[in-house]
Amino acid sequence: MNVLLNPLSNWFSKQFFHHTSMAGYIEPVIQLFKPSWRDGYYRAKVVVVQAIANRTLAIELKTESRWPTHKAGQHIELTLEINGRLVTRVFTIASSPNQAMHEGVIRLVVKQQDAGAFTPYLARLQVNSWVNISKPKGAFLLPQSGAVTFFAAGSGITPFIAMLHQNLHEQVDPIHLVYYAKANEHLVVAELESLSNRLANFTFTLLSRSSDGDVIEKLSEFHNSKWLVCGPNDFYKTIQNYAEAHQISISSEHFSLVNLHVHGDEKAHFQVDHGGIKFTADNQQPLLAQFQANKINVPYGCGMGICHQCQCVKKKGVVRDMRTGKLSDYGEELIQLCVSQVVSDVEFKA
Amino acid sequence: MAKVGEQDANYIRRVIVMQRILEWSGRILLVLGFITPWLWLVGVLALATAKILDNMEIGHNVMHGQYDWMNDKHINSKAYEWDIACDGKSWNRVHNFEHHTYTNIIGKDRDFGYGLLRLSNDFRWRVKNLWQFITYLNLSVLFQWGVAYHELAAERVFFGKKKENRDYKVPHSELKTRFFSKGARQLIKDYLIFPLLAGPFFLWVLVGNLIANLLRNLWTSTIIFCGHFTGDVKTFSEKECENETKGQWYYRQALGSSNIKGSKWFHVLTGHLSFQIEHHLFPDMPAKRYREIAPKVQKVFREHGIQYNTGSFFKQYGSVVKRILRYSLP
Ligand code: FES
Repeated sequence: MNVLLNPLSNWFSKQFFHHTSMAGYIEPVIQLFKPSWRDGYYRAKVVVVQAIANRTLAIELKTESRWPTHKAGQHIELTLEINGRLVTRVFTIASSPNQAMHEGVIRLVVKQQDAGAFTPYLARLQVNSWVNISKPKGAFLLPQSGAVTFFAAGSGITPFIAMLHQNLHEQVDPIHLVYYAKANEHLVVAELESLSNRLANFTFTLLSRSSDGDVIEKLSEFHNSKWLVCGPNDFYKTIQNYAEAHQISISSEHFSLVNLHVHGDEKAHFQVDHGGIKFTADNQQPLLAQFQANKINVPYGCGMGICHQCQCVKKKGVVRDMRTGKLSDYGEELIQLCVSQVVSDVEFKA
Repeated sequence: MAKVGEQDANYIRRVIVMQRILEWSGRILLVLGFITPWLWLVGVLALATAKILDNMEIGHNVMHGQYDWMNDKHINSKAYEWDIACDGKSWNRVHNFEHHTYTNIIGKDRDFGYGLLRLSNDFRWRVKNLWQFITYLNLSVLFQWGVAYHELAAERVFFGKKKENRDYKVPHSELKTRFFSKGARQLIKDYLIFPLLAGPFFLWVLVGNLIANLLRNLWTSTIIFCGHFTGDVKTFSEKECENETKGQWYYRQALGSSNIKGSKWFHVLTGHLSFQIEHHLFPDMPAKRYREIAPKVQKVFREHGIQYNTGSFFKQYGSVVKRILRYSLP
């Protein structure tokens, strides 16, 4: 396949087939033989889909051999074709690079969202079906040396699991995990126990806010280590502020559930980022008008959603289609500026 | 629109596969023409069909944004570029914006007669209209070039007085470069590279490509004329359309186009522009769905006493020819 991807064939394809890449030109043909074969993505085969706790799934994927192995703590973008539409979400890999190298398998641990547009489909994934993944991304990694404290909340446990498994092979300094979740909703507890039995340098405490108080009360015990934090926005903010005040080295990965303003009647403002140029937009007017008010030149035509001239690649955030009231996805997709309003902070490709 | 989904995604991928197979078997058969000319002939037909599919069912519809919801980076209106001389971006501006927004408003929709033909009493008669049927034939033969030149003509890039205070969204220099580079690539590909690859069968391939392109041009031009210029199609003046409501817009779309009856294959080859009325009402609905909604549209038209302009291919084509001839005289 690599021959197809080389620059010469892409040049040829651009000149004569008007496709940006040769792979793009032949993609639908290859898909007849290799389902989910896609230009710019890796393929992975579903080997296990298993409910491991209340509304929590463990999914194991066999990656294709050219997939570059991840480092413990990294994440991937997982893309499914849901009713004809490609939808992408980001998940941290909860298994070690070692396992990926030897068995070609990675594991994701996913909390299901009830009304989600994505996670409910994960539960229905068939074993032996194909999905697309990106190469591993992210720089949330275990420090080379020194004592470490992990702070995890909810499904923020996943990168730490990967790091601990990797640790079985690379003996290092003490690691302590502080894991917050609602009472009795801690994930993969059995696995943590078995890890702490096997790893002499690893200990952990399970806490929940209702019985053990806020995380801030516990922080003073861990001044003599490096901190790694993974969890929702507020959780990480609290710890980060404390670490800054006490000059503690911290690295973090946080997932913010986007603050949506779904009810249009109430005026609200959001940040718009157009390839680095930032401005504030409200949720009342179409985006096109607000781009123009901010002197950002974008092509447009009819202003009523017919001509697609105003189309733009949204990279992040949620917009509402003013015609149907439908909310967009979180990830990358094409939207029409003239009939879209913001309902969260958004980012566009310039 | 709620039903649009997996079926439509699979459908367009299938059509693309078919297009690729036809194109490549066509190109190979052209070279094998030395075994027997029949192979060459089949090759020409396969290549022409591939080019028609690329132009109509894939290119036209994908560039209308009908498949943008798939979120596929190769099958969407921003990325798709078709195998004809016209630069896709230019077509998108003129066609998607002007033609579909200002359908048949004389003075705003330059598709009406392409500035070459007089097709209604909205234009003054000139002597050149006497032989406009021949102009029409020429336009059909060179249709892809006509489409390619469309925006440049309108913007008066080469000839004519430039219009005052028009807001030029794209600089003329860019229009020119894109026009020449896309056009040149097409010429080099079909009339130089592929013939050269065939070595001693250079001429076979060259002529084959020429005929395939010609067939495609004639076909698309004919379908488009049948969709827009049959006898009963109405035109509108700018005055009438000031401050029009959404409802009036639909009404104008309805009266401004006409359908052609035919078999399933016929519809696919026209890119479902045989459902021109439905296309004008819902330009970004996946085109195969027009077949489903056509009966409903027709019913609504009947209820409101609006004429639903449809007929067999020959009837519609006859009516186009009549219209062109009729308006060649004062
Ligand atoms: S400007 Fe025409 S679709 Fe937005």
